[in-house]
Amino acid sequence: MSSRVGVDVGGTFTDLIMCDDATGEIRVAKRPTTPRAPEKGVLDAVRAGVGTERVGSLAYFLHGTTIGLNALLTREGATVGIITTRGFRDVIELRRGDRTDAFDLFCREPEVLVPRHRRFEVTERVGFRGEVLTPLAEADVRALVPELRAAGVDSVAVVLLHAYANPVHERRVAGLLAEAGFTGQISLSHEVAAEYREYERTTTTTVDAYVRPKTSTYLDALEAGLAGLGCEAEVLVTRSGGGALPLRQARDRPFETIMSGPVAGVQGAAEISRLLGLPYAITADVGGTSFDTALVVDGRPQLQYEGSIEGIPVLAPWVDVRSIGAGGGSVAFVDEGGLLRVGPRSAGASPGPACYGQGGTEPTTTAAACHLGMFGPGQLANGWVLDREAATRSLAGIAERLGLSADDVAAGVIRIAAAAMAGAIREVTVERGIDPRRCALMPFGGAGPLFSGVVADELAIDTTVVPPFAGNFSAWGLLGAEITHTAARTKVLDLGEEAVGQLDALLAELYADLVERAGAQAREETVFEAALDMRYAGQDHALTVGVPLDGRRVAATAAGLEALFTAEYDVQYGHVMDERVQVVATRATLRRPLPRRRVGAPAPRADLPARPSLTAYSFAERRRRDFAVVDRDAVTEVLAGPAIVLEQTTTTYIDAGHEARRDGTSGCLVITRRTRS
Amino acid sequence: MTTHTAERVLHRGTGTLLSGYDPGGADPVTTEVVRHGLNSAAEQMKRTLVRTAFSPIIYEAMDFAAAIYDRDVRLLAQAAALPIFMGTMSYCVHGAVDAVGGEEALKPGDVILYNDPYGSGSHQNDMAVVMPVFHEDRLVGYTAIKGHYLDVGGKDPYITDSVDVFQEGTIFPGVKIVDGGEWVGDIFRLALANSRLPKMMAGDLNAEIAGLKAGARELTRIIERHGHGPFMSAVERMFDHGETVVRGYIESIPDGRYTGRGVLDSNGVDDDLIPFEVDVVIDGGDITVDFGRVPEQQGGPINTPMPQAVSACRIALSMLAGGTDIPNEGHFRPLTVVTVPGTMMHPVSPAPVFLGWAAHEAMEVIFDAIATVVPEAVPAWSGGNLPQLAWGPRSHHGRPWADGCAMPVGQGASAHGDGAHALQLHAAARMRVTGAEILETRNPWLVERAELRVDSCGPGRHRGGLGVVWSYRALEDFFYTAGVERTKTAPPGFAGGRPARSTELRLEYADGSRTGFDKVTRLPCPRGSVLTVSTGGGGGYGPPSERAPEDVRADLRLGYITEEFAREHYPHVDLAGEDA
Repeated sequence: MSSRVGVDVGGTFTDLIMCDDATGEIRVAKRPTTPRAPEKGVLDAVRAGVGTERVGSLAYFLHGTTIGLNALLTREGATVGIITTRGFRDVIELRRGDRTDAFDLFCREPEVLVPRHRRFEVTERVGFRGEVLTPLAEADVRALVPELRAAGVDSVAVVLLHAYANPVHERRVAGLLAEAGFTGQISLSHEVAAEYREYERTTTTTVDAYVRPKTSTYLDALEAGLAGLGCEAEVLVTRSGGGALPLRQARDRPFETIMSGPVAGVQGAAEISRLLGLPYAITADVGGTSFDTALVVDGRPQLQYEGSIEGIPVLAPWVDVRSIGAGGGSVAFVDEGGLLRVGPRSAGASPGPACYGQGGTEPTTTAAACHLGMFGPGQLANGWVLDREAATRSLAGIAERLGLSADDVAAGVIRIAAAAMAGAIREVTVERGIDPRRCALMPFGGAGPLFSGVVADELAIDTTVVPPFAGNFSAWGLLGAEITHTAARTKVLDLGEEAVGQLDALLAELYADLVERAGAQAREETVFEAALDMRYAGQDHALTVGVPLDGRRVAATAAGLEALFTAEYDVQYGHVMDERVQVVATRATLRRPLPRRRVGAPAPRADLPARPSLTAYSFAERRRRDFAVVDRDAVTEVLAGPAIVLEQTTTTYIDAGHEARRDGTSGCLVITRRTRS
Repeated sequence: MTTHTAERVLHRGTGTLLSGYDPGGADPVTTEVVRHGLNSAAEQMKRTLVRTAFSPIIYEAMDFAAAIYDRDVRLLAQAAALPIFMGTMSYCVHGAVDAVGGEEALKPGDVILYNDPYGSGSHQNDMAVVMPVFHEDRLVGYTAIKGHYLDVGGKDPYITDSVDVFQEGTIFPGVKIVDGGEWVGDIFRLALANSRLPKMMAGDLNAEIAGLKAGARELTRIIERHGHGPFMSAVERMFDHGETVVRGYIESIPDGRYTGRGVLDSNGVDDDLIPFEVDVVIDGGDITVDFGRVPEQQGGPINTPMPQAVSACRIALSMLAGGTDIPNEGHFRPLTVVTVPGTMMHPVSPAPVFLGWAAHEAMEVIFDAIATVVPEAVPAWSGGNLPQLAWGPRSHHGRPWADGCAMPVGQGASAHGDGAHALQLHAAARMRVTGAEILETRNPWLVERAELRVDSCGPGRHRGGLGVVWSYRALEDFFYTAGVERTKTAPPGFAGGRPARSTELRLEYADGSRTGFDKVTRLPCPRGSVLTVSTGGGGGYGPPSERAPEDVRADLRLGYITEEFAREHYPHVDLAGEDA
């Protein structure tokens, strides 16, 4: 019995997908998100999608939550205090001195999470080699407890200089606070991120302290609610860096899951890539307000080891997802210089784009698509019927100002939005030295498959893969997670045989920590992985390179490690240097795969009634013409464009000159260009 | 386009229809799609450079610019990087191409190395590379990158007291470093032989060329996609668009001649203050920045090469008028800059130009002029400028080392609110400061503090931002060079706002004796001494007597100001008052 369910809490809807691994049956549910107490929406979805009678048979409950992220975005987290080394109280507010917007004369950076009067200093100092230069003045710490209480602090971030090299003072601070009667939460920087760079470690530890109480409360409520339904499944929460954490770990390390929202879809795309053997795939997740894109190479999402939320750096593994303000709700306008612009401003969810017929009048990308007939007959998943006349009306003002026809304006809006999306994709690919034309485009999200044809054309991409359940793909992606624990430590070492021994010792410590974290779950099938941040001496930035292991030890000589680094450097930068190589940080990962799940979509149905064709706009031919309208379930083998493919939660637009076929194994719709123009 | 009238030189924006393509031939949609594509191309140049550069001053401090030009050297797009470079790149392309013999001398695969400061606008360390871009055997444009090299063989790695340009580094007056795709070995060896850090130079040169190629590839892709004619029509329309946006803004300022006043600490060699005035003339949708009355060229490196003086005006105008868009050639069309050869803003060889601060100062002087007529359009004065370089013979590992970055300052307050704390000056907006943990790992230092500088803000209805204080204890002997500005005069406020505290530099020796200084080259900091830099705050806006009592109390509670400061500047406030 290994049935599993994925529940993804989005801004508007909570999506659920259940997969019964015995029968292969898949069930889908969608319920409104309940922002004040998201567990309610989650439990509603479980009742609707799984049913109380089957809840007991679930083996895994995979979850993507935005609880921590929302606490940050709405600034409704804990009242945090920072305790730091004397002389460094302002690190969080000094930032790195750069301006987010170089051309904004009145530039103000976002408010700091912890204002100055809640940042406290203690006398102590550790050097970069871990040596204690000034012992901790314990009286300083004890004296802080009444001050913390007076300031209403309920969560403390302790960030002492070079604590990654020697945590003795941070640990002692925690002990002293407890002894002196401090009862709030305590986050220690060396436990959160044992990496150098005090600003980034401070923000990460602060984010941890800030979201911890809310995350705990939520996860406790969810655990209790699921138990109340009779669910005995193992609850796993998606990490920002991919994979998932058991619930208890997610409660202890909330900063690791903070950006899990866009990750599940990328994880799903990676699974599809492996299944189809795609060397390179680019995700195109189009929601209401944003476009998210990520690169998948050889079936693996690209990881960064530093992320950022609203300009706040977070030192944690992070699936490299880029987001721009271009989505279904992006508003088109004519600017003061007479050019047509799209976004980044978005029409709100209520009343929404004009075509939703809910009283909205704003000319959005969705309205443009609706006017052009790209949606097909125009029934949305939630039962709304698209109001095409309202869509056309919303574009009239722009058409008049520019002296263009409504069709030209609507097609222009889509092309401009697609150009912005293509720009974001180029950034993601060029940074890895990959030509986007070598990639397959993988669109999902409510509007992804609608726009992907125009985006693919802009990028000269030949293959587009629309995954199964594209409209609920984040929930689908959750189902493929593996349990993942990671830890890292900064220690700069000149690469030599001596260093390899030191690396083994470091890895032994890191794995000991991870195995302890994983607890009873560290079973036989656990996979140990390691990566090193390496650089040429003299450089600051390092490349993260995976290294082979023999058990928990490095299975390579110093020369072997250098060769791995050099090869990766060459791939990324196109040249290598004649310079010493250093290891900056060591990263350890523990992965435990879940039992393999069955991937696939329901078999195609030949019995669906044919739908009448309709007239829609063809970008390839720059005119309106006949489009076939087909239910996705009715696509058996090859479908020639132009066609509009309907499914419950999304619509796929296939232009003239393209054809789609159904991939039998995965249920994907694979769209290719029929002839190169 | 340059016109000489007596000794005044007028630098105008490029005219319309230079290419012969009709902007009316482009629809607004294709234009916007092309604009996105070009901006993305410039961004790719930048990302390629950042990912491949060898020196932190490029990939960490963002001390570079990357731009794409059409065949007539009109700016198509550039990536957001070091703003003060961004307006100089057209001069680099012109200078480099002219030097090798003009268009006829160019072939695919060429890369020209160019750092003649009077032509490039920057000191020799800022090395420009220029690549002609061909499409179907036709020259269609250029990609250009200028990045700061840590050393190009000047008398010191960083200089504040040079007396002529030849002390400031090796000059590459426009020479092909790559000729038709083949490296020119002699030039390459010559370049490396004149640097104290040849490996870094080689790495950064490689990175710049990789960036040029990325931009060239994208430019030809866009031309390929749209066809050359439609592409050029879209470009013309894009320029017209930028021009319209900027003219619309200029028209909102009343016509007239407005004077801004600035003062530089010294020219680096003599100790005298250098006050100067700049006139800004608004006439309908045209703006002229007149540097005609600035002092003669100086005997020290404070002079700014003319292209950088023009760049300061271009960037100031873009910040005022360009909205959030990154400027293209059209944005510059309404601008005319007037300079006089032989002056501080248009020095002639062999005048020293290493610092070039006259241009950085000029940006704020332009804002000062605008403030006399539309005070709400600009922020008050910032805490100035503190680029610094430290180096020594022995690191922790016993090797020679060098490290440098500009320090953030407090920003001026404005009609819209308080000034921001601790940001880089406008001209260097993207530079990032390296933290104490990394500094201690690579330099023989113990950083004793890194804090906001309490009470450094200019009081006002809206107060200025705070500067910063950093203290470095020397664990080994090292040398220190600071090209500091605004230490002798306080950053002024606007509209009744009060001045802020100015920058202070101090060295405290192991025996407790101290010395204060301003611009300094190669100051010995012996082991055991503590170097403390305290940067200036931002000027205030509006009378301090109008500051809301709760805002004063909040500043006090947060410790941005002391009680003494609050009493002195805000006597109207009951400091013990209750706030909600």
